[in-house]
Amino acid sequence: MKISRGRLGLAIGALSVAAVVLSGCATSTGGSDEGSSSGGGDLIVGTTDKVVSLDPAGSYDNGSFVVMNQVYPFLLNSKYGDATVSPDIAESAEFTSPTEYTVKLKKGLKFANGHELTSSDVKFTFDRMVKINDPNGPASLLGNLASVAAPDDTTVVFTLKNGNDQTWPLILSSPAAPIVDEEVFSPDAVTPDADIVKGDAFAGQYTIDSYKLNELISYKPNKDYQGNLGPAQNTGIQAKYYADASNLKLAIGNGDIDVAFRSLSATDVESLKGNSKVKIVDGPGGEIRYIVFNFDTMPFGAKTAEADPAKALAVRQAMADLIDRNAVAKDVYKDTYSPLYSFVADGMPGATTVLKDMYGDGNGGPDQAKAEKVLKDAGITAPVTLNLQYNGDHYGPSSGDEYAAYKTQLEKGGLFKVNLQQTEWVQYSKDRSADVYPMYQLGWFPDFSDPDNYLAPFFMKDNFLANHYDNPAVNDAIVQEQTETDQAKRLEEIGQIQEMVAKDLSTLPILQGKQVAVVGKNVQGTTLDASFKFRYAPLKK
Amino acid sequence: MAVDAGAALAPVQPRSKSKGGGGLWRYILVRLVLIIPTVFILVTTVFFLMRITGDPITAALGGRLPADQLAQRIHEAGYDRPLIVQYGDYLAGILHGDFGTTITDRRPVTAILLQYGSATLELAIYALIVALIISIPLGLIAAYRRDRWQDATLRVMAILAYATPIFFAGLLLKLVFSVWLGWLPVSGRGNTRTELLMSGIDTPTGLYLLDAIRLGNGPAIADVLQHAILPAVALGLLTAGVFLRLIRTNVIGTLGQQYVTSGRSRGVSEYRLLTKHAYRPALIPIITVMGMQIALLLAGAVLTETTFEWKGIGFMLAEYLKSRDFVAVQGIVVMIAVVVAVTNFIVDIVAAFIDPRVRY
Repeated sequence: MKISRGRLGLAIGALSVAAVVLSGCATSTGGSDEGSSSGGGDLIVGTTDKVVSLDPAGSYDNGSFVVMNQVYPFLLNSKYGDATVSPDIAESAEFTSPTEYTVKLKKGLKFANGHELTSSDVKFTFDRMVKINDPNGPASLLGNLASVAAPDDTTVVFTLKNGNDQTWPLILSSPAAPIVDEEVFSPDAVTPDADIVKGDAFAGQYTIDSYKLNELISYKPNKDYQGNLGPAQNTGIQAKYYADASNLKLAIGNGDIDVAFRSLSATDVESLKGNSKVKIVDGPGGEIRYIVFNFDTMPFGAKTAEADPAKALAVRQAMADLIDRNAVAKDVYKDTYSPLYSFVADGMPGATTVLKDMYGDGNGGPDQAKAEKVLKDAGITAPVTLNLQYNGDHYGPSSGDEYAAYKTQLEKGGLFKVNLQQTEWVQYSKDRSADVYPMYQLGWFPDFSDPDNYLAPFFMKDNFLANHYDNPAVNDAIVQEQTETDQAKRLEEIGQIQEMVAKDLSTLPILQGKQVAVVGKNVQGTTLDASFKFRYAPLKK
Repeated sequence: MAVDAGAALAPVQPRSKSKGGGGLWRYILVRLVLIIPTVFILVTTVFFLMRITGDPITAALGGRLPADQLAQRIHEAGYDRPLIVQYGDYLAGILHGDFGTTITDRRPVTAILLQYGSATLELAIYALIVALIISIPLGLIAAYRRDRWQDATLRVMAILAYATPIFFAGLLLKLVFSVWLGWLPVSGRGNTRTELLMSGIDTPTGLYLLDAIRLGNGPAIADVLQHAILPAVALGLLTAGVFLRLIRTNVIGTLGQQYVTSGRSRGVSEYRLLTKHAYRPALIPIITVMGMQIALLLAGAVLTETTFEWKGIGFMLAEYLKSRDFVAVQGIVVMIAVVVAVTNFIVDIVAAFIDPRVRY
């Protein structure tokens, strides 16, 4: 085959001409002042989170909820720095009878597309959520909802199946409750992201002016937002999505982005502490890590050859005496996790230090003598063999170091011999509820910011752990706090429940994840609070 | 996959001409028909392998739901049906052109193929250009300096280039040129401004460089090219190693031909002999191998795109694999299989036309 120089030149020439001709063929509506150097208060936020869907009915994950918190209004919401909820686009919200929760909307509410936001939209929002009941969605949070009525344009009445549900106001600020536009969203199917963006169906603090799934979202402040959180302090946000935490770290470290939020590894955060271009901001996180005990299969469990509930309890208590949370938080997680001595996450109403008071040296440290005494008093001859399971692909590679540390701590005084085992996540998920693991690692991120969400799912009969824990007194106490209308009394009851479950130790809370954001030196307004909602609006530089 | 450079110099086989004159057409037909079992075997393998690794619902909700609720969700999604039934449904869908909708982000697989396929195509083109730029001159030098230190060095470099794991080469390039020197971007196809520009184009091609040229936006063109350098080099090196050895071998072969010796005796300069007389005939096998390298490039694209967050088909494949999204993975693999099979088919046909040594 012969390619002459003339032909090559002709080809290059043709390409050049094509490029010049094509240059006149495209127009773009995107683009503004550049990226990291964008002036006028625009900020770039980087994350490794992923968006599943912009439709609240079709997603129940952190990545999607972060977007929803920026663009959708809520009836009730938590103000910056506060875990409790108060009216957002509502004027008032209260129980008008034990099974009726009435919300009055502010007048003149509008979506960014000009559509009026009325009680009809609110009713539509909840009705469709229940009707669609998407497997990826949060419809399960509305299990106590019987019906929704919209007697007039600004009044919404929620009828509940069980009266005085004290978690209901929190559910109205949860992933099940972003208010959507009935003129844009489908009543019986998850609405595609493109339709939502095209319909400009937003009434939160921001609108979306450019959207590329899991690549880039460009937000502009919504001038029509009338909620209680106030207007955005910046002129826009570009959210950039990274697949790899190391790329996110490099981007924030180089100053390519202004904020990195979720999820940098502990070592990345540690190394960025020495970077003069950035600062680390942290706040309480809702995520907790704990060990679950299977009451049937753990040492001396109900279905073992040496079944003895008292001895099984002694084993759990001795383990609680020996675990050194501080060491793990510091050495393994570089203080991106903090020690957890409460069943309700620290920072939430109702959080206590019950496990610090009851176990170990009383100051959060281990106590070998105490653990020895517990076992001895129960008539247990050391060492007790523990088969402890953990998972590295779901809870992160540091889980290996974390559980290696527990093994060392538990074996140090000769009371226990620990066999560590790791299993891939899908198999782990099946095995853990099939009585395969005597004791195992698990994590939890709350559905909504209420202490009950750290109690009912774990300690009620037939809880999701399926660990055969059943204490009728605890069960009754949880039902009681869920319907207690006096908030002070409710918190007292929540404290009492934690004392009860601390004695039983069906789970052993160990660590609580911090929310960590790495931001540029000139970025202000980063707010990480116990609402566990990361809001872009207060950010500025 | 490495290609044996020596294969290009395989003994020339006599062409077996069909008496009826339909030999070439039969050859084309056979090659075309062979695409079907190739794709079918791959689809079947991927389908059953994906099912063995678990279902996406357990992967997402295994730590939150009781076993009975989890089982109910799996049942509702139909993942507890007999595998053969699921397989039959899937094949029926493919035959109707329906690759399904992804489980994790509810996008039609065809839309994903279109959106991200262009990114991979762009990367493959860049990589091919890099491979040619590196391999042609170095291959010529290696051939011209045969068995001297330059040749030995280049041969070692070529082996290193295609033997080095692509993710390692990528990480190394990133470490040096992005982190230490700060010359080139760490990841992505463009900076935030470019990405915004691209997402605002009315009729995008998906090829960022072409779209930036169409916009006539100089900074965007420069930015796109800057972002392309490291991924293109990482992926291109892999192919460059193969090309370099192939060019060297073929040019050595042609340098020994009678017409080259005659040219030399007539006083044609060594440079001209090398770059014109010996080099051009040696290019034919390169064109053939170039087609076969598409499979190598697509395989390499998964690692390159993941390393540099180049959001193409390879990147998406890795993402969907992590979330065990059956539908997406199957769709992407089928697409890759079809592309590779069709490309190889075209290469075979082109080779049959231009190379008299090809038998049919």
